[in-house]
Amino acid sequence: MHVTLSQALLITLWAFIIGIDQFNGLFHIHRPLVTGLIIGLILGDLQTGLITGATLELIAMGMVPLAGAQPPNMVIGGIIGVSFAIISKLPPQAAVALAIPFAVAAQGCVTLIFTAFSPLMHKADQWADECNTKAIAWLNYFGLLTHGSFFALITFLPIYFGAAYAQQVVGAIPTWILGGLSVAGGMMPAIGFAMLLKIMLKKEYVAFLIIGFLLMTYFHISILGLAGIGAAIALYDFYANKNKEANNKKAKKEMHSGGI
Amino acid sequence: MVSDSVNTADNSANLSTAYIDQTPHKVVKKSTLWIVVLRSLLLQASFNYERMQAAGWLYGIMNVLKKIHQDKRDLAKSMRMHLEFFNTHPFLVNFIMGLVLAMEENKEDQSTIRSIKVATMGPLGGIGDALCWLTVLPILAGLGASMAMQGNPMGPIIFLILFNVFQFGVRIGLMNYGYYTGVRAISTMREQTKRISHAASIVALTVIGGLIASMIKLKLAWVIHVGQATVSIQDKVFDAIMPNLLPLCYTLIMFYLLKKSYSPVKLIGITIACGLIGKFIGLF
Repeated sequence: MHVTLSQALLITLWAFIIGIDQFNGLFHIHRPLVTGLIIGLILGDLQTGLITGATLELIAMGMVPLAGAQPPNMVIGGIIGVSFAIISKLPPQAAVALAIPFAVAAQGCVTLIFTAFSPLMHKADQWADECNTKAIAWLNYFGLLTHGSFFALITFLPIYFGAAYAQQVVGAIPTWILGGLSVAGGMMPAIGFAMLLKIMLKKEYVAFLIIGFLLMTYFHISILGLAGIGAAIALYDFYANKNKEANNKKAKKEMHSGGI
Repeated sequence: MVSDSVNTADNSANLSTAYIDQTPHKVVKKSTLWIVVLRSLLLQASFNYERMQAAGWLYGIMNVLKKIHQDKRDLAKSMRMHLEFFNTHPFLVNFIMGLVLAMEENKEDQSTIRSIKVATMGPLGGIGDALCWLTVLPILAGLGASMAMQGNPMGPIIFLILFNVFQFGVRIGLMNYGYYTGVRAISTMREQTKRISHAASIVALTVIGGLIASMIKLKLAWVIHVGQATVSIQDKVFDAIMPNLLPLCYTLIMFYLLKKSYSPVKLIGITIACGLIGKFIGLF
C-alpha cells in the first residue's frame, strides 16, 4: 500500500510521543503492543497491527534497559516493524528482521544523546550555584524535546522514503564512530563514580570500596545483596562504636569516683 | 576589615557540609507530595552517562527545596549536592525523594543526606528492576499480547490500565511512606548524625565498589596472533589477573585526575577521545 504524507506525519507524531515516554512518564504507551494498536488504526489495518505488535512485544520483553545498558531499541523496532508489516504485507517475523537494523541505529542515537548531555551537567552546576531553577527546569524540557525529535526523525525517513533508502543512510555512518561513542558511553560512569569518591572516600572507607568491588567481580552478587552485606558491617560498626563510647564514659566515671 | 571577615565566614560556611540557616522548615503538605510524584516523571529527561538521573532528580524536588531553603546560599548548596551522580529505579525513586525531603526540611547535614541517597539508590534500583521490569511488566504485557494475538484491541488497553494502576500505586505509596518514615526516623537521627552518616557511608562505599565492577563497560577486543594461535589480551591477560581490572583502573585514573584538579568536562573529552581512537585502531 502507499503511505500518504498525513499518515507518515501521524506515525512520526506517535514516534515523538513514545520517544519521550520510553524514558519519561513511562506510561508504557511505547511498548510494541500499544504501537501495534495505534499504527494499525493510522494505516487502517487494525488486525495486522495488533498481531505484529504482539509478536514484537514478546521479542521486546527480554530487551529492557537494565542498569543503564542499552539493548536494541524496541520502541523504534515496534514502529518500523508494525508499519512495514502493514505497508509491504510482510509476515510479522520478516517485519521483525527488517526492524532490527533500525533498532540498532536508534540505540546508537540514544548513546549519542546520553553522551552529549554529559558536558551540560557542568553548566547545570553553575546554574545551581546561581540558584537558577528555571535553567535547570529548561535543561530537562530540552532533554524531552531531544528524545522525541530523534525518534521522530528516525521514524519519518524509512516510513516516508521507504526502508531501502533509509537503510542506505543508516549504513553511511562509519561503524567505528558509533562503536567508539558507545565504548566511551560505557566508560563514562567512571567519571561520575570518581566524583562521588572525591567527596565521600576517606581512608577508613577504602576497605569497603574494595569489598564491594571484589564481591561483585568474583561472585556476581546483586547490588541488593551487596548493600545487605554493607548494612551488616555498618550495623556491627554502629553498635561496636556505641558500646565503646559507653564503656569509655563508664570508665571515666569510675576513675572519677575512685579519685574522690 | 569588616568585609574581609564576612567574606571568610561566607567561604568557610560554603565549604562546610552544614546549612547556614539551621532552623527546620516544614513546607511539605499532602498536595506537595503529589506534585513531586508528577515532576518525578521527568527523572530521566536529561539522562547522561556522567551523572545519569542527577538533573532530573533535582528537577523533581527543586520546587520544594526552594521553599525549604530561604537563604540563597543554602539553596545553591543543596542544588549543587543534588546534581551529583544519581541513578535508581524510576518508580521506586519516590521513596528516596520522600526520605530526602524530610531530611532537607530538618536541615540535616549534607554529608548525611548524601550518604542516605547513595546507600539507597543501588538497592532500590535492583529491587525495582526485579519487581517492575522482570516481573510485573512481562506478566501484564504477556496478558495483553496474548489477547492482541487473536486480534482483540482490548489487549493493549487492558495492559496500559493495569500497568499504570501499578505504577502510580507504587509511586504515591512510596512517596508518602518515604516522607513520613523519614520524618519519624529523623528525630532520633539528629542526635546520632555522625554515627548514622558513618554507617551509611560504609554501605554507600560498598555499593559504589560494586557499581564500579558492574556498570562500567570496558573490554579490549585486541587479539595477538602468535603463529597459528590467537591470544585475546582481555581473556588471557587482564581477566586472568582480575576481571573488571580495566573499569577499576579507569575509575582510579579519573579519581586521580580529579584530585589533580582536572575539570570533569576535560575528563569527558578524554573519555570520548579514548573511545573513538581505541575503536579506530581496533583496541576495543
